[in-house]
Amino acid sequence: MSGTGSSDAVVARNVDMDFGTGAMAVKQAGFSLARGRFLTILGPSGSGKTTLLRMIAGFQTPTRGEILIGGKPADAVAPHRRSVGMVFQKLALFPHMSVEENVAFPLKMRRFNPREIPGRVAQYLDLVRLGGFAKRRINELSGGQQQRVAIARALVFEPELLLLDEPLAALDRKLREEMQLEFRRIQKELGVTTINVTHDQREALVVSDEIIVMDQGEIQQHASPVEMYRRPANPFVAHFIGVSSFLAGRRTETGLTVNGSDCAGQAVADIAPGAEARGAIRAEQVRIAAPGDALSGCDTVLEGQVSDTIFEGERLLYFVTLPALATTIQVFHHDPAEHAPYARGATVSVGWTARDLLIFPAKDR
Amino acid sequence: MMSFSQKITVWSLVWFSIITLSLPTLVVLGASLTAGNMVAFPPQGLSLQWYEKIALARDLQQAFLRSLIVAGICTLVAVPVGTLAGLALSRFRLRFTTAIQVYLLLPFTVPLIGSGIGLMLVFGEWHVLGSLWPVGMACAVINLPFIIWSVSSSAVLLDPDLELAAQNCGAGRVQTFLHVTLPAVMPGVITGGLLMFILAMNEFLVSLLLTDARIVTLPVLIYNSIRSIITPDLAAVSVVFIAIALAAIWLLDKLVGLEIFLKSK
Repeated sequence: MSGTGSSDAVVARNVDMDFGTGAMAVKQAGFSLARGRFLTILGPSGSGKTTLLRMIAGFQTPTRGEILIGGKPADAVAPHRRSVGMVFQKLALFPHMSVEENVAFPLKMRRFNPREIPGRVAQYLDLVRLGGFAKRRINELSGGQQQRVAIARALVFEPELLLLDEPLAALDRKLREEMQLEFRRIQKELGVTTINVTHDQREALVVSDEIIVMDQGEIQQHASPVEMYRRPANPFVAHFIGVSSFLAGRRTETGLTVNGSDCAGQAVADIAPGAEARGAIRAEQVRIAAPGDALSGCDTVLEGQVSDTIFEGERLLYFVTLPALATTIQVFHHDPAEHAPYARGATVSVGWTARDLLIFPAKDR
Repeated sequence: MMSFSQKITVWSLVWFSIITLSLPTLVVLGASLTAGNMVAFPPQGLSLQWYEKIALARDLQQAFLRSLIVAGICTLVAVPVGTLAGLALSRFRLRFTTAIQVYLLLPFTVPLIGSGIGLMLVFGEWHVLGSLWPVGMACAVINLPFIIWSVSSSAVLLDPDLELAAQNCGAGRVQTFLHVTLPAVMPGVITGGLLMFILAMNEFLVSLLLTDARIVTLPVLIYNSIRSIITPDLAAVSVVFIAIALAAIWLLDKLVGLEIFLKSK
């Protein structure tokens, strides 16, 4: 995902943003994004993801480093002259204008041929499935419809780049999932390069071609959703995406020794034997069975007690305390109807294969 | 739900307030309709003779016209200045913000007679006393905080992202101001503008100090009249004043909607 080609829609090089309030908001951010791709910048609040997006929109100027849009340095271009459409977190629709006036506004400001404007507005309202709502006032629309107006307004002038600043954060879950698929459909239909910012890991996995995970102003990893999930670059990414349990120990030939017990695993980087290391294992990669079950195929099998069970609908989440490791790990159990769920306090066997316990250097966050 | 006794208490208070507040108006209205020659309530017979008299009185008409001019000048000066100042104070971090906020409290702390004498000295030094525009300017200066407040209260409700969204749509600074910022604070501008008009129309003390016998405004003329004899024509003039104020409120309701004043937060 690195390397800069002529087909890159957006390139950021060593971008710093220092508001002068202590820690830098963005540190040494660098990435490139090919034309037509859908990138999600994922991170907790305060990770610098929105600041990075606002620098690309031109609302803030990087303290150091440069941003290229369409191969040209963007710093010298005022925000209103950039070919960038943005959907704001709180949508920022103009309340004194109708739906149609909101969508026509960028066309008027960007001096499109006035005879072309009504047709284009109608075309984009159809694209977001709001044909027939043109004359409505903004406050007469539902949350989902307002989202669609904001998308139409951001896309109607055919920008090179579409920016989404967590526009779905305020929606309820069903509508949010519906709009995620809608964003994906529209993006694929138009092929517009898109950068989406969110703290919702599910949204990032569902909509994106590529994901950047940020924390404390720094890019932690830039990868495809599958790679991000399967091969997190560090414990932070493993923790932020999916449900993982962490084991602190020392590196051995075959994995990790935790509290004196050997755990089979594979290292993601060179770690000297005996050095401190951290293992991470996904809750769905841990198998659970009745005590004494050999769990065929598992490289590590341990006994423990169920300390809590949580019913999540499509699966059960067990917290299993492992005396041998002096820790508690999380285990998903799908299709719980097949087995009687293990009760709290019950003794169980858990196991995993060496491939699924990822071992990181201890200095990594 | 309120119980019966609560309802009785609440409605009694409501009617008590309505009656006490409107009683002076009703008395003036009644007195202006009298057929007699004295200000009296209840009126002695009904007639519109005093309205006819003030409609024909040249000095009243001219004073009324002068008050309109003063109010017009005040509004024309105060609306652009107050709008920009109100926006700047609420939207930008400025130096001297504290000093400006103290200035905004002045109308409540400095008695009008103080600012009036100050303005009289300044305008006298400039040799501009005797014309109407200094009176309008003075009203604008003294009442400016009211329109600044009115605009600021609209501006703080404005989502800063709206202006960024306008830029993102391709609008430059001026276009953003005209198409997005100004419409968003328009309720505050209209409210403040009407307020400035009414305040200048009714301004007495400052007008008294800055006008001479040739350019008296209506409130000053009324004051001069009641010093000699109170006749029902003054009641009729007062009713005209009240009608203008009611018209302003009606206009405000049509343009902005009164609910922004009635909203409890």
